[in-house]
Amino acid sequence: MRISFQTGYRNTLAEIERTNADLAKYQQQISSGKRLEVPSDDPTAAVGAVKEHTEIGTLDQFTQSADSANSRLTVIDTVLSDVINKLTQAQATTASAMGNTATAQQRISAADDLAGIRDSLFASFNTMFRGTYLFGGTDTTTSPYVQNPDGSIGAYLGTTTAQSVDINRQKAVQVTYNADGITRGADATDVFGVLQNLIADVQSGNQANMQTGMDALKRAFDRAVSTQSKVGTDENAVADEESRLDAMRRAAAARLSSEEDTNMAAAITGLSAADTAHKAALGAAATINKLSLLDYL
Amino acid sequence: MSGLFGSLGIAARALEAQRTGLDVVGQNMANVNTAGYSRREVDFAEVPPYERFGAGNGVEVEDIRAVRDMLLERRYRQELPTQSRASAIADQLAVVETALGKPGESIDKKLTAFFDSFSSLAQDPTSATARQQVVVQAQSLATAFHDMSSRLDSAQRSADASIVGAVDQTNSLVTEISQLNVAIAQANGAGADAQSLKDQQNEAVNKLAKVIDVSVMQRQDGGVDVTFGAGHPLVIGEVTYSLVSNPVGPLGLSQLMSNGIDVTSEIKAGSIGGLLQVRDSMVPQYRNDLDQIAYTVTNQVNTLHDAGFDLSGNGAGVFFTALGSASGAAAAIAVDPAVAADPSLVAAASIASPGDNQTARAISALRDARVMSGNTATMNDSWGRIIYRAGTDSATAKSDVGSHDEIVRQMEGLRDATSGVSLDEEAMSMLKFQRAYEASAKFFTTINGALDTLMNMVS
Repeated sequence: MRISFQTGYRNTLAEIERTNADLAKYQQQISSGKRLEVPSDDPTAAVGAVKEHTEIGTLDQFTQSADSANSRLTVIDTVLSDVINKLTQAQATTASAMGNTATAQQRISAADDLAGIRDSLFASFNTMFRGTYLFGGTDTTTSPYVQNPDGSIGAYLGTTTAQSVDINRQKAVQVTYNADGITRGADATDVFGVLQNLIADVQSGNQANMQTGMDALKRAFDRAVSTQSKVGTDENAVADEESRLDAMRRAAAARLSSEEDTNMAAAITGLSAADTAHKAALGAAATINKLSLLDYL
Repeated sequence: MSGLFGSLGIAARALEAQRTGLDVVGQNMANVNTAGYSRREVDFAEVPPYERFGAGNGVEVEDIRAVRDMLLERRYRQELPTQSRASAIADQLAVVETALGKPGESIDKKLTAFFDSFSSLAQDPTSATARQQVVVQAQSLATAFHDMSSRLDSAQRSADASIVGAVDQTNSLVTEISQLNVAIAQANGAGADAQSLKDQQNEAVNKLAKVIDVSVMQRQDGGVDVTFGAGHPLVIGEVTYSLVSNPVGPLGLSQLMSNGIDVTSEIKAGSIGGLLQVRDSMVPQYRNDLDQIAYTVTNQVNTLHDAGFDLSGNGAGVFFTALGSASGAAAAIAVDPAVAADPSLVAAASIASPGDNQTARAISALRDARVMSGNTATMNDSWGRIIYRAGTDSATAKSDVGSHDEIVRQMEGLRDATSGVSLDEEAMSMLKFQRAYEASAKFFTTINGALDTLMNMVS
């Protein structure tokens, strides 16, 4: 086969361009750390990268939700512990005023204690976290209870619905509570009304009513404990979910890295091979171009 | 018998013939880099003796031929339209896929951020900051759709501008070929050398084949007739038929006319064929998919939002301005002006209670909802499909360019093996003719010496 000058030139140039392109490709991969610059570099990996970026974004959002939920649940848990303590204290105070051994002065003192407990519970159920009420159900902008001038507490002003946030695709946790469900439940009077009645009954020494009040406090106590138990369960679930989300994020990040990051060992090896090939192509071009019959004439 | 003067004639004809050979070598060497040049070969023929026992009368130049293989030329020309089509597609799509953006940094990122903002709102539905963030992210998403739609418009316009340029190039080449047809016919008619014109004709036709897939028929007078598509003429002898590009439609994209007939859909190969495929098939497909995502976001969010309640407990309206159809949705998507002006109108609640977050949660959950492609894909899945389709189209075009470049290079090699100039071969020919010239000159000197001897005998 005749090899024309143009054929030799074209073939040499094509080889130099090819090896140069390989060099540039590996150089770019190594310097950027990414093997995916445009989708056509690896369309399947590009789609995988879109999915993983989306997944990481979603997991980050669930993590943020879980963190937020955890903060709220911690506050709710603390408040409920305080409520439980106060209800225990109210029962003890009422018990101390019952029977024939309590003096009038002691009953007055007990009534004052019950008023303090009432005020403390009022403050607890009106707890705010980052500007929202935690015990008003979904009415997070209105205080669940209002105190009357005489010290008594008005009726529950919140809603029976509650606010939940998603901590993963399947699970949501409740982050606000309906205080009425704790203070009143299925009773006719809430715990504030019970305490208000007890204050009068303790002062008057009405044993029967004090016993009725004691029973109501016991039921309120049970509801508070039950609610705190649910909160605790949710706190554990959130903690577990945060661990899972962290693990899932790391897995997604690893998958993303395999889709779009440069395999440095392979790229450096490829760069070395491309460098050798490029030098060989240049050397061959120089050698071939030196050889001409014209030089010998 | 011819005598010594006859011998001088032999020497003179030989010197003339070998000098012509050297001229041909010089011509070949001079045109080693001339595109389309076919090497020349000189054919010598013996001049027979005039008498029965004569040695002969030396040599004469019978012909100077351009060495061509028409079969190879035709096969080479057949590869050019496919190569340029792939090259045009690859060049255009390289811009398009760059415009689509990297994974995680384009529409997908904006969609995620938009749904994240509703998730944040769900955590604190009465927060003015969270509501403002929802509006900001929605506007950012809408802007991203607008920008992407605009970039796809630009890609279509860019392809169209290249088509208009290619049409001009086609018409210029068509004119050149028709002029060469005339010149070749005239040269052949006058018995003049038309090889140089044939080289130019070949080169012009090859250039034309890169722009548009043409059929070439040889004419008796040495010219060529050129047609394309379903036999639409470009050159018939000396008559030319120009391609005309007429801007039509809202984007003013070119419709290609030949002799008053719309031939746009008939051009499948050459750079025009590739550009038309990008302009009329590939980019519109990406845009349709993008419009579908924008339309689905608008409808899905609006459906949930419309059923929700704003911060004041009033029934909410649409979140995005309602769209009539998917067509053009990416360019038209916009946050409802009332919502944009007053973020308290964002519906986070599904009941008339400001702390309820059911609607915000439901909208946030749309990120995972399979609401695209017959309820088989999420919105980000659909974006991934656009990326995949553009990536695959571009990768296929790049691969086609590589394989067709190689085929064309091989064909060029085969063609050059016949028609190309080899400097080593020319150097050898130069040596050959030089030596022959020297020998003839020596012969001339010898005969001249013999004549001197003869003359001296007379004197």
